[in-house]
Amino acid sequence: MIERLGFRIEPRSETTAKGRALAVGVALAASLVLCALLFLAVGVSPFAAFQSLAQGAFGTWRAATETLVKATPLIFTGLATAIAFRARLWNIGAEGQVFAGAMFAYWCQSALAGNSAWIQLPVIVLGAMVGGGLYAGLAAILKTRFRVDEVISTVMLNYIIVFALSLLLLKGPWSEAGGFFEQTAKVDPGSILPILFDKTRLHLGFLLALVAAAFVYLMMKKSPVGFEIRAAGSNLRALEVQGTNSRRVILMVMLISGALAGLAGMSEVYGVHYRLKAGAITSYGYTGIIVAILGLLNPWGVVIAAILFGALVNGATFMQIKTGVPSALIYAIEAILLLFYLAGWAASSFKLKRIKP
Amino acid sequence: MTTAPATPRLTVRHLTKRFGTLIANDDVSLSIAAGELHCLLGENGAGKSTFSACLYGLLQPEAGEIAIDGVKVELTSPAKAIASGIGMVHQHFVLVPSFTVLENIVVGTGSGPRLDMTAARSRILELSRQFGLEITPGRLVADLSVGEKQWVEIVKALYLGARLLILDEPTAVLTPQESERLFAIIQQLKASGIAVILISHKMNEVMRSDRVSVLRKGRLVGTVTTKDVTRDDLTMMMVGRPVAQVHARSKPGAGETALSFKGVSLAKGGRTHLKNVTLDLAAGEIIGIAGVAGNGQDELLEAVAGLVRPDSGNILLRGEDISVLSVHDIARRGAGYVPSDRFRDGLVSDFSIAENLILGQHWDERWRSGPFLDETATRRSAETAIASYSVMASGPDMLCGRLSGGNAQKVILAREFAKARHLLLCNQPTRGVDIGVIEFVHGELLRKREEGCAILLVSEELEDIFALSDRIAVMFRGEILGVFPRDEADITRIGPLMAGHAHGAAA
Repeated sequence: MIERLGFRIEPRSETTAKGRALAVGVALAASLVLCALLFLAVGVSPFAAFQSLAQGAFGTWRAATETLVKATPLIFTGLATAIAFRARLWNIGAEGQVFAGAMFAYWCQSALAGNSAWIQLPVIVLGAMVGGGLYAGLAAILKTRFRVDEVISTVMLNYIIVFALSLLLLKGPWSEAGGFFEQTAKVDPGSILPILFDKTRLHLGFLLALVAAAFVYLMMKKSPVGFEIRAAGSNLRALEVQGTNSRRVILMVMLISGALAGLAGMSEVYGVHYRLKAGAITSYGYTGIIVAILGLLNPWGVVIAAILFGALVNGATFMQIKTGVPSALIYAIEAILLLFYLAGWAASSFKLKRIKP
Repeated sequence: MTTAPATPRLTVRHLTKRFGTLIANDDVSLSIAAGELHCLLGENGAGKSTFSACLYGLLQPEAGEIAIDGVKVELTSPAKAIASGIGMVHQHFVLVPSFTVLENIVVGTGSGPRLDMTAARSRILELSRQFGLEITPGRLVADLSVGEKQWVEIVKALYLGARLLILDEPTAVLTPQESERLFAIIQQLKASGIAVILISHKMNEVMRSDRVSVLRKGRLVGTVTTKDVTRDDLTMMMVGRPVAQVHARSKPGAGETALSFKGVSLAKGGRTHLKNVTLDLAAGEIIGIAGVAGNGQDELLEAVAGLVRPDSGNILLRGEDISVLSVHDIARRGAGYVPSDRFRDGLVSDFSIAENLILGQHWDERWRSGPFLDETATRRSAETAIASYSVMASGPDMLCGRLSGGNAQKVILAREFAKARHLLLCNQPTRGVDIGVIEFVHGELLRKREEGCAILLVSEELEDIFALSDRIAVMFRGEILGVFPRDEADITRIGPLMAGHAHGAAA
């Protein structure tokens, strides 16, 4: 059809960073227009909606720290996904690994309740990494030993762990004595992640997330491990021909990815909710995928994208109070952002060429 | 046939095609007569493929015009090219294996909902009789040999009414005997007035054409009548300088056995890849493996490199059984491996030259400082490699995906030669690289041989094999059918063995 107008779409031999930024920028602007139309559809001035959104996210010191609280688990899951995707391992299982991390940390920590924070805090951090890592490692072993596609296995493992937690909380050993909800009792005060600033909820987990981002950055860019991950993502076969065991690389990537995702579960349970329940840790894994892609699979990009998403979620509540826009609309906005972003990215690999009429 | 008749079959005037800043074809003008075999010659990247893609409507030139039989044509798609009477046989066949020959030929030719298969069949039989192409319309393409597939491609082009046929490196996949058949067919085509454009690297084929057009860096250096020039003239035109063909070499050293195969067999996916291979390779010796692609040569080298495990038999490297060792351990014992598919097996395209040079050795202490990779050390070694292998690159940080085939190969050679203290496995080291690089690779291999390295060389280019080998082994269906000292090996002995005719030739 487009050829009738005298044009043809051709792939570009190479795309400049500038061209790509332009395409993505235009796409994001277009997505804002679409969001504005959504606001209009529910009868709210887009200007007022965006303003209240921004105000709710960054308007006050408290609001800004709250945005960072919301961003913290997304940084972890975003990093987890970014590492796996860099190696072209499609780990969709950060969701389940968040659960596994939270659960294993809780299991270890509950045995040590009453001890000092110097003991309990390292235990929950390590426990979360081990739990998330092992759970992701399961998918790696399924892949390397039995050739099960990691997309399938990680998604399935997500379901299993959610139901496993439900079982443990409903009638199992972890259910709160005399409680009606599917949740544990409050955790021991010595295991709670310290608050960074008075009168905020911003906790140590946020600093840990930044440390994790720095760690991932250094590892990917400078270390032999990152070298292997990047090589695996570009040409696993060449890496293998050169004598690197590809099974080892796959397992390693999944262990690191799972460990990072596990930290998200730990940080929510011990930094925000102070008890283990499904509602405290649900959906960060999936949102982490979007965060990783928007962050260009780059650790610092992930931090920025996570803060943006934290801001959206945090601002949405304020926006609902102020303008009556349902806060669920935020999820539509997140999806629109991602789709337009991907479209812009894809479009930048093509060019429109005038052909002779 | 040397002077074009009144109206040439093909006339190209001032054709220019750019890719960004690169000018792939720069003001190319030539004409080809009906019944002429016209050869396009040039190094890789000289613009031959671009030129033929423009002729076949796959690319659109920025400037210039193309005329068939004096009529100007606009080739905006392959369909238009076919309609204008241009046919092309690609290097990689575009046939559907699960279709019959007949179906493959008629697919996409019908205009209505029904195809007259009976008429199509008799037309195909008529064409194949006329040109001496033995094809059976009812056979499945999957069952055909490589040569037969090529005949099908040619018949398909003729069936579509080609008056100008472009053959893109047609003999790269053929045995010497099949290549002979191809040239007999080309004679028939010429006799019936079809013009043929042959793209080839092989000088002996080029010399059989009527005229040759030489391209260099996108420009037409000249069109010459073949019988008026020598090979050296053409090479000069192509490279722009004289090329030394003969390499001085010493007698093969009677070194110790570096590598030995002892009854090595390998079957995979129901196919026999290696069948009881027994062969000894001495230090300082080059054994060339001659054979048509896919007869177990790849597996032979992969088995040594540790990429596949033989089902039975042993492979000894300097007396040590390496058939149970990992790829990494074998490499550490001084074996280098140059894979045939360099971008699939040899390089990480998204990595820089410096990174590719340490691929596989990235845990070595000499490339590390503390927990991190030592960028200073890797870049310094990359700079040395770029200089000593004369890699055309902007520097150690250039991504390997942006290197030309020849320069990518040099990066692999630099890495593998450094690893190969005792043994070098070389698969198709000159595939798809230009004459300058071929010359370079040959020189480097001989230098490595002088150093006492044992070299196992697989190449589909018999010229490589003859130019370099101390002994030549012929492989067919996983078996070594014969091993000849080089001075006893010639094409009449090796050719039939490559096709599996073993009668009384093994020595």
